[in-house]
Amino acid sequence: MRGAPGAILRYGLAAVFVVAALFPLAWLAMAGFKAKTEVVATPFQFFPEMWRWDNYARLLADEAFLRSLGVTFAGAALFAALSLVVNALGAYAFARLEFAFKRTIWVIVLTTMFIPGIAIMLTSFIVVTELGMLDSLAVLVIPGAAAGVQVFFLRQFFLSVPAVLEEAAQLDGAGPWRIFRHIFVPLSKGAFVVVGATSFLMFWNSYIWPVLTITDPELFPIQQYLATFRSERTSEHGLLMAGSTLAALPVIVLFLIFQRHIIRGVRLSGLK
Amino acid sequence: MAVTSLRATRARPRAGARPRPRRENRVAFVMLAPLLALLGVFVVWPLLHAVYISFFTWSFYDPAVFVGLRNYLNVLTDVEFVNSVTRGLLFSAIVVPAQVTIAFVFANLVKSVSRRMATVMKVTIYVPAVISEVIAAIVFALIYTHRGGLLNWFLDFFGIEAIPWLGDTVTALPAIAVPAIWIGMGVASLIMLAGLLDIPETYYECASLDGAGPWTKMFRITLPLMKNVILFLLITGFAASLQFLILPLLMTQGGPVNSTNLPNLFILQHFTTDLYVGYSIAAALLLFAVLGTVSAIIFRLVRSEKAMDA
Repeated sequence: MRGAPGAILRYGLAAVFVVAALFPLAWLAMAGFKAKTEVVATPFQFFPEMWRWDNYARLLADEAFLRSLGVTFAGAALFAALSLVVNALGAYAFARLEFAFKRTIWVIVLTTMFIPGIAIMLTSFIVVTELGMLDSLAVLVIPGAAAGVQVFFLRQFFLSVPAVLEEAAQLDGAGPWRIFRHIFVPLSKGAFVVVGATSFLMFWNSYIWPVLTITDPELFPIQQYLATFRSERTSEHGLLMAGSTLAALPVIVLFLIFQRHIIRGVRLSGLK
Repeated sequence: MAVTSLRATRARPRAGARPRPRRENRVAFVMLAPLLALLGVFVVWPLLHAVYISFFTWSFYDPAVFVGLRNYLNVLTDVEFVNSVTRGLLFSAIVVPAQVTIAFVFANLVKSVSRRMATVMKVTIYVPAVISEVIAAIVFALIYTHRGGLLNWFLDFFGIEAIPWLGDTVTALPAIAVPAIWIGMGVASLIMLAGLLDIPETYYECASLDGAGPWTKMFRITLPLMKNVILFLLITGFAASLQFLILPLLMTQGGPVNSTNLPNLFILQHFTTDLYVGYSIAAALLLFAVLGTVSAIIFRLVRSEKAMDA
């Protein structure tokens, strides 16, 4: 594969990957500029007849759409913050403290990683019903915040922090809380970004759980809003595509901002 | 007092990474409390409850009646359930090999292009992974539209007649597999790349000195050393692909004629339509006892091997 023909082949193939990854999204954004009847049409036209901002403008003036984006944004931010606090504190205890039944509890936390959502979906629904949490932001934010995977990831990270650092602090009389706050938190920015961003993303993209627990349209997260829009207004393709574009944009931007951390996090999640 | 200090001195030498051998129950449990409370209420308890319910005929309205293993027997003898599992396996057989192949080609390609191009490729391949299944379903369903859709318009240039991709029992499942591959290829590719970059460059240099060509290197160095990464991706990909739910739900509702009724969709539909939920819970538990065990075993294998390397 050396020499000019090899290089052309390599870069050609690389271009195929880039196009395959981005084409559906590019088409989505472009179809948002099309009129109602243009997205699906015979004869089909790839580019819009006229680039019109109507769809995007209408959505950005649509209160229900904006509210849905706002609910999702607020929920995702709360969810990310809660996951960070809960999972990081737990992970720190497992990484650095000695306590009764440590091994047993650790095995239980690890086991929860392998329980698929659908196996406990119905009984979780019973729990949130009995707690009176239906149709609230709490039902979206609280139940999924503790996650074995993230505790596992953070614990691995904390274990790699050299013990010398905290030994010095201990000599100065610092307890676990101070050590966590002043040594571990500042050192773990990268790991926290990965956990925060993946939690945010998970919340942003979730659909099945909201469908089960939210019936009030004012609280519809964005995915539920889009799916409902799609089934209720079946001919508004252009508007739907514009809405999907706007709904995908925040997470794409989030990913691009933190891509270095996230990509490293994905690679670590593999085998190390 | 004497006992604790004895324990402390004994624990000292082996606790290289843990400088605090004394038990700190109170602090530890305060730190663990939120985690354990949330996992307990929203994961562990629902699981135990689910196992319990699976032995009863139970509904939201009637008192439960113990039926032993009848729910499980009903599930295992239900042709519809067996069919949905077979369909799930077929779906995995399309998605997983495609994903792993893409990831393998991608990783080798990234290694051979310039640094800047490599960065562009790593970022772009991961973009689909942040897109929701709902949006992927919306886009791909429109691309597949029978009359006036993008794909059939494109195929028309090659003289291929319009195909009702999602409306035909033969094409619907592969058509849903494409967005599934699209969403999952980023993670697989990045993990594959990490594995490939772990192989020391000196191995290849030595092979070159001995006159080995690119294919020899591929089959004698790359593939044997990547065996574990590939196995890991096959298993995790299998577990993930068997759980796709939103794509078939929104693109085809499991149709036409159940041809895209994947296991999770089958279970979800029973959840929402059955009055007695013992059946669907038994189905979910059966399916995932197997899957969960397989992934837990792989997790152990992969980790223990890593530990031995170190």
